[in-house]
Amino acid sequence: MNEMHLALHGVAIKKHAPAAAVAAVVGLSAERTEALLKDAAASGRLMEAQGGYALTPAGRMILDNQYSRFCDALREDAAFIKAYERFERVNLELKQIVTDWQTLEVGGQKVRNDHSNADYDAEVLDRLGDLHERFAPVLAQLVKGLPRLARYGRALEHALEQAEAGKIEWVSEVRIESYHTVWFELHEDLLRVLGRVREE
Amino acid sequence: MTQFLGEFLLAIEGGALPDRNLIGGKAWSIARMRGLGLSVPPAVVITARACTAFLDTGELPPSLAAELDAGIAWLEAASGARFGAGPQPLLVSVRSGAAISMPGMMDTVLNLGINDDTEAALAALSGDAAFASDTHRRFLDLYARIVLKATLPELAEDATPERWRQTIREETGEAVPTDPRAQLLNAVQAVFESWNSRRARKYREHHGIPDTLGTAVTVQAMVFGNLDAQSGTGVLFSRNPLTGEPAPYGEYLARAQGEDVVSGRFTPQPLSALADQLPAVHAELLAAAETLERENGDVQDIEFTIQQGKLFLLQSRSAKRAPPAAVRFAVDMVKEGRIDEATAVSRVTAEQVRVVLSPCVSDADAAAATVLASGEAACQGVGVGEVVVNTDDAERRALAGEQVVLARLITSPDDVHGMLACQAMATERGGTTSHAAVVSRALGKPCVVGCGVDTVTALAGQIVTVDGTRGKIYAGALPVIAPDENADPLLATLIRWAEARSPITVLATPPAGPLLDLNTVSGGEDEDQLPALLPGHTVVKGGAIASERGVRAALAAGVTTLCASPRLPVLLAALEAQRQLQTNTANDK
Repeated sequence: MNEMHLALHGVAIKKHAPAAAVAAVVGLSAERTEALLKDAAASGRLMEAQGGYALTPAGRMILDNQYSRFCDALREDAAFIKAYERFERVNLELKQIVTDWQTLEVGGQKVRNDHSNADYDAEVLDRLGDLHERFAPVLAQLVKGLPRLARYGRALEHALEQAEAGKIEWVSEVRIESYHTVWFELHEDLLRVLGRVREE
Repeated sequence: MTQFLGEFLLAIEGGALPDRNLIGGKAWSIARMRGLGLSVPPAVVITARACTAFLDTGELPPSLAAELDAGIAWLEAASGARFGAGPQPLLVSVRSGAAISMPGMMDTVLNLGINDDTEAALAALSGDAAFASDTHRRFLDLYARIVLKATLPELAEDATPERWRQTIREETGEAVPTDPRAQLLNAVQAVFESWNSRRARKYREHHGIPDTLGTAVTVQAMVFGNLDAQSGTGVLFSRNPLTGEPAPYGEYLARAQGEDVVSGRFTPQPLSALADQLPAVHAELLAAAETLERENGDVQDIEFTIQQGKLFLLQSRSAKRAPPAAVRFAVDMVKEGRIDEATAVSRVTAEQVRVVLSPCVSDADAAAATVLASGEAACQGVGVGEVVVNTDDAERRALAGEQVVLARLITSPDDVHGMLACQAMATERGGTTSHAAVVSRALGKPCVVGCGVDTVTALAGQIVTVDGTRGKIYAGALPVIAPDENADPLLATLIRWAEARSPITVLATPPAGPLLDLNTVSGGEDEDQLPALLPGHTVVKGGAIASERGVRAALAAGVTTLCASPRLPVLLAALEAQRQLQTNTANDK
């Protein structure tokens, strides 16, 4: 990807975010990202509101059309594709773990998990930690093909450690870089790079 | 009596309880159930001393293989089955068990001991070749994931064991042994190795647990609920975990394994089916539930299997409960003399009471309403608004003060800003683990998912009521009712008990005199700012004061009176905050 495409790609993943957050996702410097985003805003590819950037319909079209140009090699990379397929398998597990974190099955019915049962929470968190460790070699394989993805490994590790230290909002809270937030961004990143479509 | 079969190995029987540090929590609870005269599958335990020896030398103690043989022989005698051979094959579960449970330890491997020969024997014994094959597949899957730590593709149900083993070899470069003894030794070693996993080490460091403690390994005979008409499996709650009604509640599935119940492939029957089919076993089960509830002082969730007419209890633990049940358990168990009032109020959380008091659509209104769409209930609660299908429009109109319901085919991170702004949401595709379901629960927004293509998005422009509890989208704006804490006798009782113990007075209406109204103070709705805003005030209302963190901040700042309604969640949060303070003080000493 060239830097402009990379910056727009970052905006697509990190919605309504300031330049610094976009920079962190794509691994460019904050200053460079800021300049690129301002440039894109001036040419109508982005809109800026309350300090955050979002793609305009035209910007989205340009971005989407350019993936095939920049990502062709990766889309042909058998090892990368294989690692991506493993990601999708682990993704099913992750979604189940997050669901189990948010809900309790009580006598056959699903109710909201109010986190009053510490043993249950510890069990689910343990499963998340286990998934995280099993996912490490898969991510390493992905990073081989696309080095900037290493950033997700660090962000996932950070979220997990926060959650393990008792700050439970770091599992699935939407407004922070929780495990689920970061995981979802990684998923979105991979889908865009590989030109695939989310199923649900 | 529990007896040593070697330096490192004990057989678990009734009688005096062995040292919990030596045999770990799981084996200890099996021993305790045996001690209460309850029937559990035979088990042996490798003590934590063997783990310590392994950690010292990096190798299993030389005598362990022979001791495990003695343990297996004991299990064979106790179960009347043979390890790795027919006609009745003995399969075992292998689980880790330290004295203190901690994250990062190895998960349980089930059905260990199966290979082509024992699969054939199991097929002949059960008369069900598909079951035997599935048992084999599930063992290989667990062994590969847990012992070999593989990220495995699904092992296809219709393939052969040879094909499954090949998939595992391709993924991991390692083979699963066919010799049951080798399977067992490898699994034991994997448990010991998991003691030094990153998470286990970190947890011990954080909690000051010595690294030298080590973990025990429990090896327990598997029992089968699908061998004949006198076999089955089920779950029993000592009381109803949904409503709280003080009557046993459960499900039973004749001629089935536990996984059949979980998989949802079969519909379990109510417990009365067991009473009809095997009345003596049913009576024994209810008596066991009563014993366990009394001994543990809490409602129990018991997994059981009946093998050829004999009852086995697999696990008993405090039951997970729906909020209304948490309230009723607490009040009823005090009246029955099983727990005291202080325990009762510690068993109900502020959040559970908020759910009980949360707005809902009445049964009568729901029955009379027109259902426009139905799907899976993803997040409880009720939201009313106009259906909007474009996420940016939904956000813009919500910010302008309109009440909107966001309806999408599916959602993605592109939609989160609209989900934040709307009253409720609905999707056409996806289940309870879909993006929309996960995010709605994180936000606490009522949500129904998987309503079917061209259902909810076709409602654009209509006013609807999204009932995230029932999984329905109703036409029009239905009346939303809010339950009253004072009108409910159970909640009123809890208020009385909580009030008598609360470190802070909680009033529904503000008293006369000076008071801090956080609604009139900048930052008063921000929990992080309360520790700076509260000192010097004794009576406080508004802002974020009624939340758990708000109450904690009030207690720490020396506030004596809070004004909030409903009162019970605040009282329970105050009691919880007080318990935390006491625990922290005790830890500091």
